[in-house]
Amino acid sequence: MSASQAPDTRVDLAGIPLRNPVLTASGTFGYGSEFAPFLDLRRIGGFVAKSLTLKPRFGNPPPRISEAPSGMLNAISLENVGVDAFIDEKLPMIPDGVTVIASLFETEIAGYAAVAERLSESPRIAGLEVNASCPHVKSGGIEFGQNPKVLAELVRSVRRAASGPLLVKLSPNVTDIGEMARVCEAEGADGISLINAVQGLEVDPETRRPVLSNVLGGLSGPAIRPIALRMVWQASRAVTLPICGIGGIVTAADAIKFLLCGATAVQVGTANYLNPAVAGEIVDGIEDYLKRHGIERISDLVGALEIPPDRRS
Amino acid sequence: MVDPAPIRTDAVVVENRSEGGTNRRLRLQVDGWCGFGPGQFVMLSPGSRADVARSDPLLPRPMAVYRAAPAGAGAVVEILYKVSGRGTGLLADVLPGQRVALVGPLGRSFDLPESGERAILVAGGTGIASVYELAARARVNTEVSVLLGARSSDDLMGVEDFESLGVDLRLATEDGSAGERGLVTALLEAELAEDGTARVYACGPTPMMRRCAEISAERGRPCVVSLENNMACGFGVCLGCAAPLSTGGYALVCRDGPMFAAEHVAWEGLP
Repeated sequence: MSASQAPDTRVDLAGIPLRNPVLTASGTFGYGSEFAPFLDLRRIGGFVAKSLTLKPRFGNPPPRISEAPSGMLNAISLENVGVDAFIDEKLPMIPDGVTVIASLFETEIAGYAAVAERLSESPRIAGLEVNASCPHVKSGGIEFGQNPKVLAELVRSVRRAASGPLLVKLSPNVTDIGEMARVCEAEGADGISLINAVQGLEVDPETRRPVLSNVLGGLSGPAIRPIALRMVWQASRAVTLPICGIGGIVTAADAIKFLLCGATAVQVGTANYLNPAVAGEIVDGIEDYLKRHGIERISDLVGALEIPPDRRS
Repeated sequence: MVDPAPIRTDAVVVENRSEGGTNRRLRLQVDGWCGFGPGQFVMLSPGSRADVARSDPLLPRPMAVYRAAPAGAGAVVEILYKVSGRGTGLLADVLPGQRVALVGPLGRSFDLPESGERAILVAGGTGIASVYELAARARVNTEVSVLLGARSSDDLMGVEDFESLGVDLRLATEDGSAGERGLVTALLEAELAEDGTARVYACGPTPMMRRCAEISAERGRPCVVSLENNMACGFGVCLGCAAPLSTGGYALVCRDGPMFAAEHVAWEGLP
């Protein structure tokens, strides 16, 4: 590679061509246009929009967020504008050339399929990401992604309803992430995204009460990065599906760690709040890394974690 | 007036000094600053070294823009704050020349009173920092009274700045160490009893703003409040700063506020 030649950062994530592997995570990037003052959306690989339901939803009462060591807890309860308003009002505001992945959830499997069908009608949407970390009403509030049978039914149903590339975003609140990844593979998902927020609780000792109105919240930020790396690595050994790595990415070095552990692409989440330009800075940093190490294609990094022979289990 | 577009930059600390008690004044050189509206705020990452990804504490802190003056390739932006926790403690340690990550200005600004209308600005605690620019701009076309309250004289901020604006200034402290002894809301009651034509602006602790809203409603006067809330982003994405509305549902303090008509706020639902 000559010094002037830019490294090839393009990746194919589950049939979605990306100019680079840096996406932004659902729920941390609004509907995209909120970031226009700070970031050229064409600089990044794309973004995953806030999770959508059939009808608009209000969120939880305050307090909805709380700071945690190297992270934050949130319990927003997936407030969103609804799938129709997203397609009619939010999507047209996104400039051409920006890759948009739509995230969806419902509290019943039939609802997921209906949202997926509606989203599949829009040519502007490059792919879908099923948020499997929502409570399943029929299972008494356990997350869809916590029960392999329920997860299988969910993926199968959405697979039938969706025409384009389909990612499933997995919950980390499970014992065996490999099993959940295999379920997605068997039911026809094109890729998996992990991890969603880790369930947590914060308490005010003065009032003896939970800090969040919802009692439990999702922990995100750098605090969960080692957990996310571990789960991405485990999932990558369980399936051949492409993986989108998520969890506490703040810098280019963080993103590269996920690629080394087997992720084809990554999503930047909580860091967007701290620095709305961070996803672009991570793209710059990855290009610098590739040049510094003389790597021509970023895909050469995927799964390139080197474990000394005497440490292999 | 359309509020200027926000920027994200590493601001350089010009000055960061104590103003007595826990009060501090931070002056930042912000290149690319394009102005702000009264009541808008910035998100500041506590601690020095804006160039290093710091993870703990993770979240930036919302701070009202006190005032700004053109300087260099932007402006010197002034922030008045109180050291009250770990984030503001770290901010207090930042030295001149060091950098602080800044996003802003954010939020919608106060609508100025109409020409000839009288404005009464009521502020308590750090809320005082949110109304200085409003007082400075409103006094051009209207008669402005500023009522500031705090626990004691040490807790009051910016009093000399308000004095030099030449506005009608009254103080109230709970211990009587400055101005009237008692709550600043008692000053508002007295003001509105004398002259019932004013527009009321309030910024401070929730009970203070709620009482201002009640007093104004009793007199049939419009009241605008500037709410505070925890927030992670400041630009309408984290949805953490929801405030319940009297009409049902929620508004975001950062995007839809921080200014709200007092009658739109469901006070009992605020944390």
